[in-house]
Amino acid sequence: MESTKVLDAKGLACPMPIVRTKKAINELADGDILEVHATDKGAKSDLTAWAKSGGHELLQDIEEGDVLKFWIKKG
Amino acid sequence: MGRPNGGQSINIRRNFENGKHKGSNIASNGSLFDAYKVFNIASAAAASDAKVGIFFTFEGLNLIHKEGHKNLPLPEGKEHFQEGFKKANVPSIEELVGIAQEMDVKLIACQMTMDVMSLEKDAFVEGIEVGGAASFIEFAKNANMSLTF
Repeated sequence: MESTKVLDAKGLACPMPIVRTKKAINELADGDILEVHATDKGAKSDLTAWAKSGGHELLQDIEEGDVLKFWIKKG
Repeated sequence: MGRPNGGQSINIRRNFENGKHKGSNIASNGSLFDAYKVFNIASAAAASDAKVGIFFTFEGLNLIHKEGHKNLPLPEGKEHFQEGFKKANVPSIEELVGIAQEMDVKLIACQMTMDVMSLEKDAFVEGIEVGGAASFIEFAKNANMSLTF
């Protein structure tokens, strides 16, 4: 899936993936897509919840080995 | 004189900016573990567009004490978790305090506790506010989420 920006949050523990995602999305425009790579196993539920509470749309999430990838559309 | 030791007492209040007022209130009691409970949740809340305030009383002042917050003790008998913190690549409390402040988390130190412990504002990290119980209640009254640790 295409993305406007890729955020590498691999190796970071809670709450850093969320904090970095928030910072990254602040720099994007509405409708832009942020791709996030994380290895924190809690990121799946956290980023899903975070997107919901911020009014963003989680378009897709996949697992590639140990890496969780997310595509979030800024709302 | 000197920094307080032992348990901690912290309050967090959060306010969502989307018109609805929500809040949280955290009181903490303990050590490094408690610092993580407080600052992780405060940072996550702030990153989720909440306005967050933390009220630090008594031993909770450790968490924002200039030197104290860099070297918080692990609970007795749990010292072996030190290795686990490194292994999990958990950010330091110093780092988390910085992140919280960057996201406008309000840090309020309890005036009365400071008086009791002979601590001045300059004993704490930059950018904190000092207030009494009433200022915290005023801050927390519209909070719709309150957490106490």
